[in-house]
Amino acid sequence: MRLILAEDSILLREGLVRLLAEEGHEVVAAVGDGTTLVEETGRHRPDVVVTDVRMPPTHSDEGLRAALEIRKRWPEVGVLVLSQYVEKRYATELITDDAGRVGYLLKDRVAQVGEFLDALERVAAGGAAFDPDVVRRLLARTTHVDPLTRLTAREREVLEKMAQGHTNAGIAAQLFVSQSAVEKHVNAIFDKLDLVQTAGFSRRVLAVLRFLGS
Amino acid sequence: MVSGPTSAFVRKGLRTTAGLAIGGLLAFAELAYVVLAVPVLVVPAARPHVFAGARRLAEVERLRLARHLRSENSADYSGRRALEYLAIRCIVGGLGAGIFLLIAGGGLSALVMAGQVFTGTPIGTDHDWYDVPAVLLFGILLVFLAVQGLIGVAALERRLAHGFLGPSEQDLLRRRVSQLATSRAEVIEAVNDERRRIERDLHDGGQQRLVALGMVLGRALRSRDAEHAAELLRQAHAESQEALRELREVAWRVYPIALDSGGLDVALESLAERSSLPVELEYTLAGRPDPATETVAYFVASEAMTNAIKHAGATRIRISVRGDVTMITVRITDDGAGGAQATGGGLSGLARRVAAADGVFTVDSPVGGPTVITAELPCA
Repeated sequence: MRLILAEDSILLREGLVRLLAEEGHEVVAAVGDGTTLVEETGRHRPDVVVTDVRMPPTHSDEGLRAALEIRKRWPEVGVLVLSQYVEKRYATELITDDAGRVGYLLKDRVAQVGEFLDALERVAAGGAAFDPDVVRRLLARTTHVDPLTRLTAREREVLEKMAQGHTNAGIAAQLFVSQSAVEKHVNAIFDKLDLVQTAGFSRRVLAVLRFLGS
Repeated sequence: MVSGPTSAFVRKGLRTTAGLAIGGLLAFAELAYVVLAVPVLVVPAARPHVFAGARRLAEVERLRLARHLRSENSADYSGRRALEYLAIRCIVGGLGAGIFLLIAGGGLSALVMAGQVFTGTPIGTDHDWYDVPAVLLFGILLVFLAVQGLIGVAALERRLAHGFLGPSEQDLLRRRVSQLATSRAEVIEAVNDERRRIERDLHDGGQQRLVALGMVLGRALRSRDAEHAAELLRQAHAESQEALRELREVAWRVYPIALDSGGLDVALESLAERSSLPVELEYTLAGRPDPATETVAYFVASEAMTNAIKHAGATRIRISVRGDVTMITVRITDDGAGGAQATGGGLSGLARRVAAADGVFTVDSPVGGPTVITAELPCA
């Protein structure tokens, strides 16, 4: 796939460029701040942009602002946001609509190369990829504790995996159960949380995330 | 016998009036002194004597103000200041004397007119029906004006003494309290600044390096080419050494342990050795200052050095630490571009730290350099 990287630490940026090149991806631009990221995205229209949250000039959340702008202007471009810390606010801002192609990972996750590349593939394919820590935080801090207590332990596990953006097949493989068992759990979760079943996997994921984040 | 508050009021009135009367007399002595002494100032050798005399007169004033006008001032002022005070004060005193003269004149004419009314002698050229009420009304009006005049002179006296003589103990206490309140708030702010800096250090240094290291290892694990994998491992190994070095640096910046074990000179030596620029260190303290002062002195030096390297583009830095048992002076000079603001990021944090230690912090940094940062710290 074609990518643009935005990361202000040269060390990490170079490392990411090498890693992605070795995996057969094409990094069309590697930048160090949010404004340039938006400009380069307009010029190259990559499949996915990967951006750090904290970048110059203010070192607060310019990466996230750029990501949100890219999502609005070019919805066909996938956005994967890397953050130093888990911030519920960042996650909820990224899942405000039903469009997929979005991800939010803890920066440290990049060191777990397999997980990072997997998340990248999911975002590029139109899905969602949310860090297990982000999901755990959303589950722990959600205002919807009541409906969550109605879930069985297994359903909670499935919910966590689903919120991270894994497909039914992916969840089945990770939990060593059949895909139809996962589908059964997913239906039960949607019933218990009073969520409307929508078509398309990433939409379902985002519905769950929005529910937890609201 | 008059009741408590009334008698206190009367006593206060009498005391103040007496004070103003004495002040009125003193004004003439002061005027004479000022007129005679000022021309003598042309002779440099005589100046100390002139100032000493002025001080003696001003001390009399200070006593009078404290006793009669309840205006407390300390003896903390110079002879020159005393002379300036006398020059203005003799005018105010003259005003007071003038009012007393008016009162005396008014009182005298009141007596005369009262006698005229009593004996039936006409006031003016002939008898008028309005003589008595007119005299009474004017009398009351004049008494009121005279009292207001005295109150005004008393207020002027207090303000003048306040402006020229030394601050009273109460003033000093009030100043100290507000200073302490400010520096306490600033210490909290400085601590927060410090935490922010440490967070940034950890984030930009250690964490990024460790993520990069993890990434290299991940690539090595995924590599199907054994030689490439070995190369990546070597790179990871080097990276881990870098990460360790960086962590050590951060830990050192948080608190240099040499400060506790070896003292300020050892910590500063170590700081100089670690610097990427040549640092000249001059340390002439005989004994060790108290630990709190050492810590402030150390951070002034280290932060000023960081500034010089990062922002001023300096090529040479000089640190000097001098002083005695009561005061140490830390001075950092660099040959960089100058233009440093005492209010800018790192420096304002230092100013707060120094203020909290009751020290004086100055930044002298003209555009074009050189920059001289000085902290004078009292030793406990």
